Amino acid sequence: MLVGLLCLTFAISHVMPGDPARLAAGPDANQSMVDTLRAKYGLDRPLGVQFARYVGGLARGDLGESLRSRNAVRDDLLRYFPNTFELVTLALLLAVALGVPLGMLSAVYRDTWVDHWTRVVSVSGVALPAFWLGLMLQLLLALHLGWLPLGGRLGLTATPPAPITHLLFVDALLRGEWRTLGDALAHAVLPVVTLCFPALASILRVNRAEMLDTLGQDYIKTARAQGFSGFRVVTRYALRNAMIPTLTMIGLRYGWMLGGTILVETVFDWPGIGLYAVNAAVSSDFQPIMGVTLLIGLNFMLANLLVDLAYGWLDPRIRRRAT
Amino acid sequence: MKTTRAALTVLALLTLVATASAFERVGDKKILVFAGRQEVPTIDPSIKYDWSIRMMQQALYDGLVKYVGNPPEIQPWLAERWDVSADAKTWTFYLARNARFTNGDPVTAEAVRWSFARTLKLNQGPAWMLSDFLKEDGIKVVNDHTIQFTLTQSYAPFLSFVPWWYVMNPREVMAHEQSGDLGQKWLTENAAGSGPFKIKRWQQGVLYEIEAVDNYWKGWPSKDHVGGVILKLVRESAAQRAALQRGEADIVEGLSADDYEVVGKLPGIVVPNYPGMTTFGLKMNTQKAPTSDANLRKAIVHAFDYDAFVKIYNGNAVLQTSPFPNATRGHVAVPGFPRQDLAKAKEFLAKSAYPGGGVELEYVYVQGLEEERKMGLVLIDNLGKLNLKVKLVPLTWPNMVARGSKVDTSPDMLAVFTTPVSTDPDAVAYQYHKNSWGKYYGSSFYNNADVFGLIERARTLARWEERAPLYAEIQKRIAADAPELFGMMSNRRWGMRDHVKGFVFSPVRLTGEVDLYPLSISAR
Repeated sequence: MLVGLLCLTFAISHVMPGDPARLAAGPDANQSMVDTLRAKYGLDRPLGVQFARYVGGLARGDLGESLRSRNAVRDDLLRYFPNTFELVTLALLLAVALGVPLGMLSAVYRDTWVDHWTRVVSVSGVALPAFWLGLMLQLLLALHLGWLPLGGRLGLTATPPAPITHLLFVDALLRGEWRTLGDALAHAVLPVVTLCFPALASILRVNRAEMLDTLGQDYIKTARAQGFSGFRVVTRYALRNAMIPTLTMIGLRYGWMLGGTILVETVFDWPGIGLYAVNAAVSSDFQPIMGVTLLIGLNFMLANLLVDLAYGWLDPRIRRRAT
Repeated sequence: MKTTRAALTVLALLTLVATASAFERVGDKKILVFAGRQEVPTIDPSIKYDWSIRMMQQALYDGLVKYVGNPPEIQPWLAERWDVSADAKTWTFYLARNARFTNGDPVTAEAVRWSFARTLKLNQGPAWMLSDFLKEDGIKVVNDHTIQFTLTQSYAPFLSFVPWWYVMNPREVMAHEQSGDLGQKWLTENAAGSGPFKIKRWQQGVLYEIEAVDNYWKGWPSKDHVGGVILKLVRESAAQRAALQRGEADIVEGLSADDYEVVGKLPGIVVPNYPGMTTFGLKMNTQKAPTSDANLRKAIVHAFDYDAFVKIYNGNAVLQTSPFPNATRGHVAVPGFPRQDLAKAKEFLAKSAYPGGGVELEYVYVQGLEEERKMGLVLIDNLGKLNLKVKLVPLTWPNMVARGSKVDTSPDMLAVFTTPVSTDPDAVAYQYHKNSWGKYYGSSFYNNADVFGLIERARTLARWEERAPLYAEIQKRIAADAPELFGMMSNRRWGMRDHVKGFVFSPVRLTGEVDLYPLSISAR
């Protein structure tokens, strides 16, 4: 799958209009300067040779060099991906933590005010553009009320902890830098909430629908007839079965969120790979585009692998079939 | 109850953390916060420049001379003085003896030679400015404090480009060389200059912090000079505006025309507003039908409502009166420069190959640039009166550059902002030379051998008295050929807290760029 992705990305990025060497050389550069850059980055070679060189580099862990930043793409990804990973993971955890119980409650209390309100949340989450929501939250909570920072990952004079994992929250925790951790959390609230909202809505809707379906099943009625408490029936028997499609949704959402953080990153100046990829795309900077695509593809596959494994944990029938 | 109390405590903590002051203080130093949209991918002076890169390069490095003020004047900097031979071929610079790099090394003629040679060798960034006239073997160290440049031919504009050739410390750079890269990798995020600032933090994609060099060899213009500058990346216009309003930024750039109107009325915020050198025009493809027809082009330039340009910028723009921006040396207001005159437009159209109109013209502009879209709408309205249709085509910048690079693909009209890097008229005139074909500002593929001859002759003459009439003629001839709908120069503006003092505007700087050296903060 990754090989297919690699071929596709390479082909697409090389048929895009625009001369990367000219763009990197600058608007005033003369032809000799453009040719210098073209030769330096091997862009004067046939496409097949360029692809072979790229694949050869990949085998050595070399993702090439960005024409725009003049840095190794691997170093750039190491710099930006942890930020996106933390943002997406936090947003997804929050979406699951809120979406699953709300979906469950909505189904259990169908057609009551609880259901109505959760449906308002779910419809809003799907309908409100993240860009607009982020700006509104920013204006209200940061500009007018002054409760939260406008953007970025840390305050202007704060210094990030020395990297261990390159994940800011984890490194601040490991180094015991509590003030930095608090600062980072404050900066994360708005982007996490903004990114979480659409995911929460999807998870809530799927979970509600599945719960409604499951609650109507015979084995649930049997459990109730046997005198099990309503709480036990819902959480232990119904939710567990309803979670399988929800898990699929979570896996898909994770992949989508990894590649779809650009708007949130732009509004909140979150230095992640979404911004990095877009900057690369508007400069026709191929190597970073391919690096980001491969990284997101890899993570998407890993997320779905984890989801597949979780199916087995949730449903013994799947576990038995696998063994 | 416990949960509520815990939540309130967390909220209070978060609020405390988020509290911002008007500017940052580090010890007794006042740190100015500049909220800009554009990254600084590299600060290597030989590799690249744009407004944000050059703002930092100017802060970290010195040139032999420097552009200062409005109108821009070339002032001595690392060079105390200079001589030029009568034929403008040999240029000799005498260095300030007290000039020091940030690490304490003296700035010598050898360092200057090495820096110019490095830029020529790497053939990137500012190399195009001088590489046609200056070769490595033409740079001679006369003594420790004297450097001489012998050009391959007379080139009077030489001095006007020298401010952008910054001097690096060869000892420091070469100590960090990797695999013969002349220090390129290291200089991407490190500096080896003699400028008034040095790097403190360089968090790519987040912020760039520089701190003032207290014992800067040239001294400081004010005792209240800033202790440092943080260039914070704020990519969204609304967030930039909010940062300024909230006091989290002292200077912001790149707001929309309407945003500047709003923030300018807020207490504690000022909006410096100066005419710039960046021209906006619609480049017309002069070699491909239908705009290859000179009469059709002349009809277009006489049909356009030029006042609309000024209205779109809420009055903060001035119309061009020549193909050259006003601040360019030798600028003349060309008599009969096109303005809206429908009768004249119809007259030209009647003489063209399309007397009844009925042609669709493509107007290509930068996707997402609202002002350019509005100009397109004005164009639709105005050219409709000539029965000419206009198709608006928004494209990303790379696609626009790609379209404009070839005669066959260059659109009928390409909306382009152009900033000359020098006040010498050659910097603008050469944009109309055939050697500029293929560049975004050469997308007209303007072809007039007489004008090319004048441009080539004017750049090699030493005496301004001889050059000036040639440039006057060049301006008239280009205007007469109408390769472009010459538009306007929008004012340069910044949103600035009123405690920021010492701002010195110079139109030759790129849009958004501020000279950080003279800035101070007056607040206690």
